[in-house]
Amino acid sequence: MKLLINMAILLVFITSCEKVIDVNLDSVAKKYVIEGNITNEPGTCQVKITQTKDFDEDNTFPGVSGATVTVSDNGGTPVVLTETSTGVYETTAINGTIGHTYTLTVNIGDLTFTAPSTIPVLVPIDSIYIDDQSLFGDVKKVATLMYKDPEGKGNGYHFIQYKNGVRESTIFVRNDDYTDGNEITTSLLSFNDDDDEDENKIKTGDTIRVVMECIDPAGYKYWSSLEAASGNSNNATPANPVTNITGGALGYFSAHTTEERTIVVP
Amino acid sequence: MNKLILLIVLLLPGTFTFAQQKHTISGTLKARKNGESLIGASVRSKNTGTVTNEYGFYSLTLPKGAHTIEISSMGLQTASLNIVLTRDTIINLALEESSSTLNEVVINGTTQGRSIKGTQMGIEKLTTKEMKNIPMLLGERDVMKAIQLLPGIKSAGEGNAGFFVRGGAADQNLILLDEAPVYNASHLLGFFSTFNSDAIKDVTVYKGGMPAQYGGRLSSVLDIKMNDGNDQDYNVSGGIGLISSKLNVEGPVQKGKSSFLISGRRTYADMFLKLSSDTTLNNNKLYFYDLNGKINYQLGDRDKIYLSGYFGADKLGVGDNFGLKWGNGTGTLRWNHIINSKLFSNTSLIFSNYSYEISIKNGANDVKLYSQIRDWNIKEEIQWYASDKHNVRIGLNSIYHTMRPGDITSSAGSSFNSEDFQKRYSWENALYLSDVWKTTEKFNVSYGLRVTAFSILGGGDFYNLDKDGNVKDTMHYKSGEFVKTYLNLEPRLAMSYQLNSSASIKASYVRNVQNLHLISNSTTSSPTDKWVASTNIIKPEISDQVSLGYYKNLAGNKYELTVETYYKTMQHQIDYRDGADVFVNGSIETQLLFGKGRAYGVEWLLKKKAGKLTGWVSYTLSKTERKIDGINSGAWYNARQDRTHDIAIVAMYQLNEKWTLSANWIYYTGDAVSFPSGKYTVGNEVYYYYTQRNGYRMPNYHRLDIGATKQLKVRKHWSSELAFSLYNAYGRENAYTITFRTNKDDASKTEAVQTALFKFIPSISYNFKFR
Repeated sequence: MKLLINMAILLVFITSCEKVIDVNLDSVAKKYVIEGNITNEPGTCQVKITQTKDFDEDNTFPGVSGATVTVSDNGGTPVVLTETSTGVYETTAINGTIGHTYTLTVNIGDLTFTAPSTIPVLVPIDSIYIDDQSLFGDVKKVATLMYKDPEGKGNGYHFIQYKNGVRESTIFVRNDDYTDGNEITTSLLSFNDDDDEDENKIKTGDTIRVVMECIDPAGYKYWSSLEAASGNSNNATPANPVTNITGGALGYFSAHTTEERTIVVP
Repeated sequence: MNKLILLIVLLLPGTFTFAQQKHTISGTLKARKNGESLIGASVRSKNTGTVTNEYGFYSLTLPKGAHTIEISSMGLQTASLNIVLTRDTIINLALEESSSTLNEVVINGTTQGRSIKGTQMGIEKLTTKEMKNIPMLLGERDVMKAIQLLPGIKSAGEGNAGFFVRGGAADQNLILLDEAPVYNASHLLGFFSTFNSDAIKDVTVYKGGMPAQYGGRLSSVLDIKMNDGNDQDYNVSGGIGLISSKLNVEGPVQKGKSSFLISGRRTYADMFLKLSSDTTLNNNKLYFYDLNGKINYQLGDRDKIYLSGYFGADKLGVGDNFGLKWGNGTGTLRWNHIINSKLFSNTSLIFSNYSYEISIKNGANDVKLYSQIRDWNIKEEIQWYASDKHNVRIGLNSIYHTMRPGDITSSAGSSFNSEDFQKRYSWENALYLSDVWKTTEKFNVSYGLRVTAFSILGGGDFYNLDKDGNVKDTMHYKSGEFVKTYLNLEPRLAMSYQLNSSASIKASYVRNVQNLHLISNSTTSSPTDKWVASTNIIKPEISDQVSLGYYKNLAGNKYELTVETYYKTMQHQIDYRDGADVFVNGSIETQLLFGKGRAYGVEWLLKKKAGKLTGWVSYTLSKTERKIDGINSGAWYNARQDRTHDIAIVAMYQLNEKWTLSANWIYYTGDAVSFPSGKYTVGNEVYYYYTQRNGYRMPNYHRLDIGATKQLKVRKHWSSELAFSLYNAYGRENAYTITFRTNKDDASKTEAVQTALFKFIPSISYNFKFR
């Protein structure tokens, strides 16, 4: 009987044998990676530039110095960002305004990269709470947000969750294709704690901080396709995420609103 | 009709010689033991001969006078009749079981389907007898898995019911169960197929040179016919296995004339889950069941009515959070009518349905998504045995498709809106004509033409896209309005030349057109894959295939050798844009890219058909590529299913009267996959940089399965057997997926992780028969 139970379990939760293998991956020419953000908080405009690395190299990604980085506000005169640390370019001269379109231009050597992005209307967080959810037989504590999606499709949301100051790696991204105009209750469910690694689980006494960004449709496309491309060979098209940057760089430029809430887990 | 026949007579080349008076013998052949009609049984007089059609009917025209007619079918005793033919004669016959003992399973003549003489090539046939001893995962005999051991038919991998034929995609196979298309032939997420081998009579796969009566898919036709039911005696048989049990009941309605069959199967893996004290497991559901039923009724000498149906469903549930059910239903009402000794008519009314429902419950959100494809289908075919040289088929087929891509139902208070995606309607019509022409004793030709008209019907919105794939404008169509009709001609040609009594060469050309396309969000087949019809933007897929083959019977028909080679081009192939999201309401075309494909290869099959040891060695060397603007800079790239080498060795050994041993070994080149070539950081997380589609390979796959069957004591009314099998006998960890991730202990490193599904799966099952 024990064997039968094991067989059944095997079928239901395919007890996969996992092992680390050597895959001979090509070495390719480096590409620039741009992470550009401008928010509706006064004086926050930051662009980080790094480069791709070969798979076998380590995970430190040094910044790229010496680029010329500008951002223009609704087609106005471009403002030059200054390099505050290696590969990080900032300015406090622009105050992100809801409804304005910002255009990022980056020049590195002969290459020019540009990307437009618009700060969409601010959708405020109505509330945040910790929900005890019964999931796959376990009871799990999950940060849950409520907000009211405005009428009309095209709203996008990106959430970043920090537990005791540590950023959760799961990408939380939503849009309103199927939820337009509703009171939204959304749970920031992650499956990173599947392996019973308790350190990842949210526990009583933890401090949870959630940042909510209202993003434009291009931003939604970027984050959702980045999530889909996160390294599984069974996805239909493991591919680079769809970026709004033209000129051949990876990454994104996002103009968005920002609002955050902090809660101590009861 | 008469005019049409007259017209065809005039068109038939080398028409009738009237020098000699001729008469026709015709009739229906059956097996004595169970009354099952015989498909492909041979009826011969010296050098002239014919085979029975799919309903056991034959018609053979011979000169007036004395003849010795030999009637034979695989595994049955050959009947020999001396007749003096003076007028058209009807001979209905039931063949006796072969008297040969189990020790010498002699398969007389050539294997079903593959004949030296006929023009048909690119065909593979399996009988349930042949499949019986092949070891299978968890002892579940499965036609879909068995055919994947044949050359040119490749498994889509573990946990995947799909298969690839001659470089085509999994959706390019037409799967028919008693003429009804089956849209998703998988159970348990692909580990088993929907076909219960107990209820199946005949399995034929056409890899190329499809006759004109088949159409609608590019790569292959898998034609499965259900048993008719025993019209002699009541029979109960069944099996008890580790994860499933099945029961089959059949018997006469009118002895010797009409019969019924009911066959059911259910898995109970989840019942064991209930025994587990682990709450993670005992709240889950995972099972499938299916039911096959058939009844046939003889109305006088010339008419027979059949009603057959299939219904199956899978249910998967993870606690209250997630549920997925899916299932197929098919029904076929068929009327065979023998008009006269040379004309046979078959009329079928066919229904097919596939649907799935996903339910997700998370906090206040309780959402269901329902999707469906449904067909009503009518077919009429006349087979005309025009002369001893010509065998003509004329047919008409009309299908009305309704597709419901997704209906979202949401509970009150949920964040989601209830919404129905646009339904799609289409009407598929085909008219075909074919003739098998025996030009000389050695040279045969079959030729045909299939004309298809696929009409896309409103109501609904259709789109025009700009070059970046964004919707430029939307066109509204009223209900029933014709949006577009695609008219296509599909010529079919096959020739055979007999070199000597044991060898022949054959050549064929076939064009196929496909108007239904499967859109998937994953490379593995999933119940939630979505069928879409051609639209103004999605053009019908078209393939042209030429093939050449050599067929040789060796060592007095103990062995047969088949070598076939093919070259195929494909138009309007579909692939996905980078970052495609196929779950969209509105224009699915915005997520797709179109291009062309090519596939070529050589297939070898050496089969041993007689003796204590039987089995085969199959080897395929092949290539399949796509070229699509927007993928890999428009250069040719390997399709996912491109596998250079594919080998299968299947062996069955009759040890003694009690024990049969079996083994199969499979080896194939790993699939073409997209792996990253680099990595980068966003938000301090590592992501992967991809440079090309399908530029890498999964590790090569190989596996050995072994099996043994013990016949237990046979009594007058009762016989039973025990079957043992060991899947993946040497415990090879074959890669199911390869994922890339940051090392958990050393965040500065990235690693590739291979997941394998199965290692040594033993199983035991008990099968019985009661009569």
